[in-house]
Amino acid sequence: MDKMDNITDIVQIKHEVLRLTARHAFAGDLYTDYEKIPYEMIEGIKPQFRCCVYREREIVRQRVRMAMGKLPIDVLYTDADSAQVVHVIPAACEGCPITKITVTQNCQNCLAKKCAKACPFGAITNTPNGAVIDQSKCRKCGKCVAACPYNAIVEIERPCIKSCPVKAINMDKNDIATIDPGKCVNCGACVVGCPFGAISDVSMMVSVIDALREKKEVVAMIAPSIEGQFGAATLPQIKQAIRKLGFDDVYEVALGADMVAYSEAAELSERRAAGEPMTSSCCPAFVNLVHKHFPALEKYVSTTVSPMVAVERYIRSIRPNVVTVFIGPCIAKKNEVMGSYVDEIDYALTFEELYAMLCAQGIEVEETEEAAEDATRYGKGFAVSGGVTGAVTEVLRERGEDTALRVQKCNGADECRKALMLLKAGKLPVDFLEGMFCVGGCMGGPATLEEIQKSKKVFETRLGGAENVTENVESKGLHKANIHRHG
Amino acid sequence: MDLMVCVGSSCHLQNSREVIKRLKELIEECHLEDSVELKGSFCMGHCADAGVCVKYADEIYSVRPETVEEFFKTTVAGKK
Repeated sequence: MDKMDNITDIVQIKHEVLRLTARHAFAGDLYTDYEKIPYEMIEGIKPQFRCCVYREREIVRQRVRMAMGKLPIDVLYTDADSAQVVHVIPAACEGCPITKITVTQNCQNCLAKKCAKACPFGAITNTPNGAVIDQSKCRKCGKCVAACPYNAIVEIERPCIKSCPVKAINMDKNDIATIDPGKCVNCGACVVGCPFGAISDVSMMVSVIDALREKKEVVAMIAPSIEGQFGAATLPQIKQAIRKLGFDDVYEVALGADMVAYSEAAELSERRAAGEPMTSSCCPAFVNLVHKHFPALEKYVSTTVSPMVAVERYIRSIRPNVVTVFIGPCIAKKNEVMGSYVDEIDYALTFEELYAMLCAQGIEVEETEEAAEDATRYGKGFAVSGGVTGAVTEVLRERGEDTALRVQKCNGADECRKALMLLKAGKLPVDFLEGMFCVGGCMGGPATLEEIQKSKKVFETRLGGAENVTENVESKGLHKANIHRHG
Repeated sequence: MDLMVCVGSSCHLQNSREVIKRLKELIEECHLEDSVELKGSFCMGHCADAGVCVKYADEIYSVRPETVEEFFKTTVAGKK
């Protein structure tokens, strides 16, 4: 099960830190031995990636802290928002010294010199070797970029800042990236976007391992996008591997998605009759986007809880005292769990963390007997863009209602933001807006193990399960549960 | 007002789950659901204190299962 062959050094380092942290946690010596991990990972005195081994070990040390559920450095974050999941690892940030506007080799040293003429600040001089920008005068207005007929002047942004869809990343006085928790929706785009791996997500993995070691009754709730993450392994095989870690039971969040589709269809009918649009509510980064950046539109967000919370309420109705652990591709889910103590979902893990735990315990995802699956193909479909709409439309069809919806499917952060801006301006005449913050849906999430092109193929061939959402929900008695948000 | 309880690993060992459970009950008993919202939190950097790290009105407190009731009465129900 060596999945780490074709991936970047960044993912490899993150995995190795998580794996060693998990191994020590399972062995019960993490709290005495966590300071050993940087030395276990980096031996000798020769650096592999950075300027010296001391910096490499400091980066690992800060990563271990995050793997243990702590901030990378305490002293820098005294007033941090304590539910903030995504943090900069200061030791790993290179402070990318990128001068924003740069002349490239495409410069032909032409006679027109439109760049220099376009510059309002006199920052460009033309030398025999081409145009040169005086960075002390440049105000990054971009006029020269637009003026050059050869496209020889480019605007380069720091990858972290460029990757952030909500402009939550700034730089401190030392050029180290900082995240504004008031704007950050915890989507994890910068975690993927930083080429130095200098941004990461705080983990709850150690608390989960502690609960497993204490032999508490712990149940896993797995996101539908898990299919395709472990090569060709089937859902029953993946469930079996998770049980081997010590989980008592494994539930499919897709079952919660069936419940959500059932509830959202009813809600949609009501809202449609009242002539009001409704947005989906399953994607936590999308819900955060509305909450933090479009508060006026919050009334349009479906009051149905996310599939994670729906399945958790169902589990708790039959097993009130279990410890519940969500496992998914999503970093923002950790933030959702933090804010939902009314529902008592205890922890959220990512696929990366699950894989680290499996590796730490030497568990292979392997052949097991086929077992029945919980959810319909529509519930499972929540994992991909368009799936929520498909499931809600299916329930409307099952109820014999009009399925001709005016739908806006937003695939990725940019489409979400654009649609919400139109909606705010009253220029988006739709009944249903599906907001998926990651491109491709959850399968494109920041904490997945496989590239979406690969995992989606496996996912699609596996898309089985029951066919009728209403029947599946009602036959299991799930429609009786209250799955609306409190208050 | 947010009442935030650390769910980090050190506080887990100090029995943060029990503290959360009791706080939830106390909020219901005192009918403070509308004014106090119970939330989780990552590590707030007070692992060395003898108890579970709880943040309320920008102040950090160290709460143990035995002291949770007193904490709630003097700090949360008192201040609102």
